[in-house]
Order: sequence, then C-alpha cells, then structure tokens
Amino acid sequence: MNILETRGLFHDFSGLQVLSDVNLQIRDGERHALIGPNGAGKTTLFNVVTGTYAPSRGQVFFKGRDVTGWAPNELSRIGMGRSFQITSTFGRLSAFQNIRLAILSKRGIRFSLFRSVDKMREITRETEAVLDRINLTAERDRAASALSYGKHRALEISLALATDPELVMLDEFAAGMSRDETHYAVDLVRRLTEGKTVVLIEHDMDVVFSLADRITVLHRGEILATGTPTEIRHNQAVKDAYLGDLEV
Amino acid sequence: MRRALAALSWVAGAVALAVLPTTVGPYYTNVFVTFAIFSVFSVSLNLLLGYTGLFSFGHAMFFGAGGYGTALALKHVSGLALLPAVGAGVLASLVLALVLAPIVVRVSGTAFAMLHLAFSQVLYVLALKLRAITGGEDGIGNFPIPPLNIPGVASLPMKDSPQNFYYFAIVLLALSLWLMWFFTKTPFGQVQLAIRENAKRTDYLGFKVPQSKAVIYLVSAAFAGVSGSLYGLFHNLVSADGAFGALVSFAPIINIMIGGIGSFMGPILGTALFLVIEEVTSRFTERVELVIGLIFVFVIMFAPLGVLGTAKMLKQRWLAGRTARDAVQRAA
Repeated sequence: MNILETRGLFHDFSGLQVLSDVNLQIRDGERHALIGPNGAGKTTLFNVVTGTYAPSRGQVFFKGRDVTGWAPNELSRIGMGRSFQITSTFGRLSAFQNIRLAILSKRGIRFSLFRSVDKMREITRETEAVLDRINLTAERDRAASALSYGKHRALEISLALATDPELVMLDEFAAGMSRDETHYAVDLVRRLTEGKTVVLIEHDMDVVFSLADRITVLHRGEILATGTPTEIRHNQAVKDAYLGDLEV
Repeated sequence: MRRALAALSWVAGAVALAVLPTTVGPYYTNVFVTFAIFSVFSVSLNLLLGYTGLFSFGHAMFFGAGGYGTALALKHVSGLALLPAVGAGVLASLVLALVLAPIVVRVSGTAFAMLHLAFSQVLYVLALKLRAITGGEDGIGNFPIPPLNIPGVASLPMKDSPQNFYYFAIVLLALSLWLMWFFTKTPFGQVQLAIRENAKRTDYLGFKVPQSKAVIYLVSAAFAGVSGSLYGLFHNLVSADGAFGALVSFAPIINIMIGGIGSFMGPILGTALFLVIEEVTSRFTERVELVIGLIFVFVIMFAPLGVLGTAKMLKQRWLAGRTARDAVQRAA
C-alpha cells in the first residue's frame, strides 16, 4: 500500500521547469530518502506535496485521497507532518509552549476560548512527556531561539512529530549539525518515527544509508531511480549523475 | 500565603476603586475614567500588536464606531436602555470588523498597518461629510443618556451624576480587561502568539491562520468598541476628530510602546504614564504633543521594550549577575 503517491507531477516557477513528470511512491511504514544534487527539485517536491503551493500539473494522493492543492493545515489534520530545512520554530516562545501548540492541535483544540491553557493538566503532562523524550526537560522554559543548534533542531523535529502524523516529511533534519549531533539526531528520528512513514531529504550519505529503507534519486526535476540502498549504490545512472565515484 | 496575598491585593484594589470618587474629587475621578477607557482601548490594540504581531495605524475606527454606534442609537431610538446602547456601539465595531476581516487577515506587516490607516481615514472623512447622519464637524452631542436600570434593585441616573457614571464605567472596563486577560490565557491565546512568531509553522501544525486572525481581530475590535462607546457616553459627545482622528489611532500605539509591548500590563502602565505626562506638561506649555512625541522617540531609541520590558530585562540581568557572583564566591 502506498501512503503517498504523486502522479505526473509538474511544477514550474514562471517558466523555469523544476519538477517534470514526477511519479513518487511512498509505501506505508517505510523510511524513504530523497536524494539528488542541489537544484534537483527536492524541496520543491516537498513544498508541492505538503501544500506550500499547488503543482502546475499532476496530482498528489495521500492515504488514497486526492489532496492536490490542499493547504498545509488541512494536510496536517489528516496526518501529514513536516520539518523545514531552515529551522522553523516559534522563536520567542519556550520549548514547552512550542510543543504544547503541537499537542493542542493534535487534540483538535484550536479555537478554545473558555479554558485556561495552563490549567489543562492532560496537555501539560503530554507536552512534558514529549520534552522528556527529546531530553529538553532542563530547557523547558527556555526560548526556542536561545537553544543550542542541535537542541533547536531536535525541537523542530519533534514539533513535526508531536501532532502524531502518520507520514512525516523531514527536510534535511541533520543539516549543519556536528558529527555527534548528527548521530544523536539520527537516533532521535529512528526512535520517534517508529511505526510511522518517513520521507527525508538528505545530503549526508551516512545518514541516508543508515536510515532509509528505500531511496529515490531526483535529478533536474525528474526521478532518476528508485530502489533499496544497495540497488541505488550500484545504479550506473545514479553514479554518473550524482554519487560519482564516491565510495559509498 | 501567596494566594492570600493576591486575594488581599485584589480586595485592596477594589476598595480603592470604590472610594476613589469620594476621596479625590470629581476632576481626578474624571481623569481616572479617561485612564480606564484608554487602558481598555490600548490593551485591545495590543491583542493585535503585541500578541499577534499585527500593526494597525487605524485602530481608532473601532473606537469611533463604538462611539458613533452608541450615540446614534441613543439619538434615534427613544427609550433605549443604557447597556443595549453600549451594545449597539460594540455591534457597530463588530460589523465594521466583519466587513474588513476578509481583506485584512490575508495581509500583515506594512500592508496591514497602511490599510488600517487608509480605512480609518475614509471613516474620518465620512464622519465629516455625511452631515445628515453624523452631524459633520459638530459631531453628535447632547444625546440622551438613560439611567442604568437594575431590575428590582435601583435605577441609577447617569446624566449629571459623574459618580454613578464612574462606577458604571469602571465595572464595565474592569470586566473588559479581565476578559481580554483571560483571552490571552486560553489555548487560542497561544495560537495568537504562534501566528506572531511564525505564521507558516502555525499553518503546518494544523491551525487555520487567516480564520484565527479573524477571530482575534473581532475580539480586538469589540473591546475597542466598548472603550469608544463609553468615551462617547462620558463626554456625551462624539466627533470625527475625537473618534476617528489619526491621533486617536496613535495614542494607543504610544501607550503600548511606552509601557511595554511584551506584556498585558504594559499598555495599562503606558496609558497611565501618558496621562501623567499630559497632565504635568499641560501646566507649562500648550505643546503637549511635542513633549509626548519627544518622549516617544526617546523610548523607541533607548528603551524599545518600554518601561515594563526594560525593568524586566534589568531584573534578569541583576539576577544573572547575582547568580554569577554567588558562584564566584562559592568557588573562592
């Protein structure tokens, strides 16, 4: 079963073709990496799938439903989460407030005007449990933007995951991290996404090969190959276009 | 202990408000009513400005709609009671906000600010030109002010009884402040902050940003309407300059910036400071706006967090310094 599927997806920015005839298939429960050189259209594909903008042509199916052109908040409500390449959190709000927003959304509490949020014990407990799982309990009341880079990234990843999505799209979650931070982040993603489907854009091949069940290579807006890590490693077209003679 | 202290200060505050008109005399009682009205007006703007990050240069239009709504209702509907008259003002503000919301919730930043300046100026001109309805430059004055009827208890006359009006206004304004304060404490209040910090992220978390903005906008407009309505009743006059003028839009911005944008109490403190400065400088010069303007510039340049924000920052620094000193002492 495919949880996510794109059919004949095209996208252009005022004439510049960025995606052309992309047929992506993501199986339920897998961890799928999207790789390719800079400018291959990976983030654009993410943006079209998650609703930042509608595709020029083609369709997006999520859980068997045609969700082409849906807004991010609508996709979020039916179980799609996303993190961003450039850390995107609520900067001046505390780590606790950040996660609490995700928990509120998950519980469908969006226009509640008659209760004090600080007195909603269930919400507080659940938020603290999430903070505990990502080792941010000590930084509970610290502003998100004041966290160390690694912790800030961890907060963003769990922001995407705290709404409990079935599919989570991670855009270069390990970008800019040190070796140690990357190890920690990979471990975190593995732990937090258990039982979920993950699509990740990643440049770090160590991360890709340690996490992904399958890989799709995007090149100049087209899918060059899809397969298991071993298949991709030995694919001649992929070697020519992207991986080169890298010993991977 | 802490709870008892808080309860005690609430009681003390209530008692102080209750005895105020009999202790400070009618002049300062009226100054205080002005303070309370502009506090509510400023806090209502701060729901947009401080909490949601939406800068409006035209919040006066909701203040003015409240004033004109109440004045027109009392002028034309004979036998209208006091609270429904206030309600008519609030309704006018709400209707105005409902008309504008579909347009303004889709923009932010400078566009939001300038659109509001434009709309409020349109209303200003309309108030001047539609003489048959608004009285033009004269405004609407001397409309009847009904007594407050509390069924089975009393009928309190409002006209020619500043003291009665004081109690009526203070209760209504305090209730407004409390409601707005509670509003910021609800889950929805958190969504406001989220929109201010990162609208895109808010969308991706599953919140509808334009719709949420619209709700905040309506709430803010309604409370601006309450303050405008009471302002009209207080002076028994509404005029284009006093209701829709650009200075009416700028006053709450100045109050918020002086007091501190980052907190609920900031705009209230700012309003108090504004009035004190106005009161003091008007004894020496007629150029009150010049002095206020200079102070405003000074605040923006040297204390952009306002009085409350700067005080909080200094306290944190002092605490951090003390912790550091303690650590050094322990180490030594």
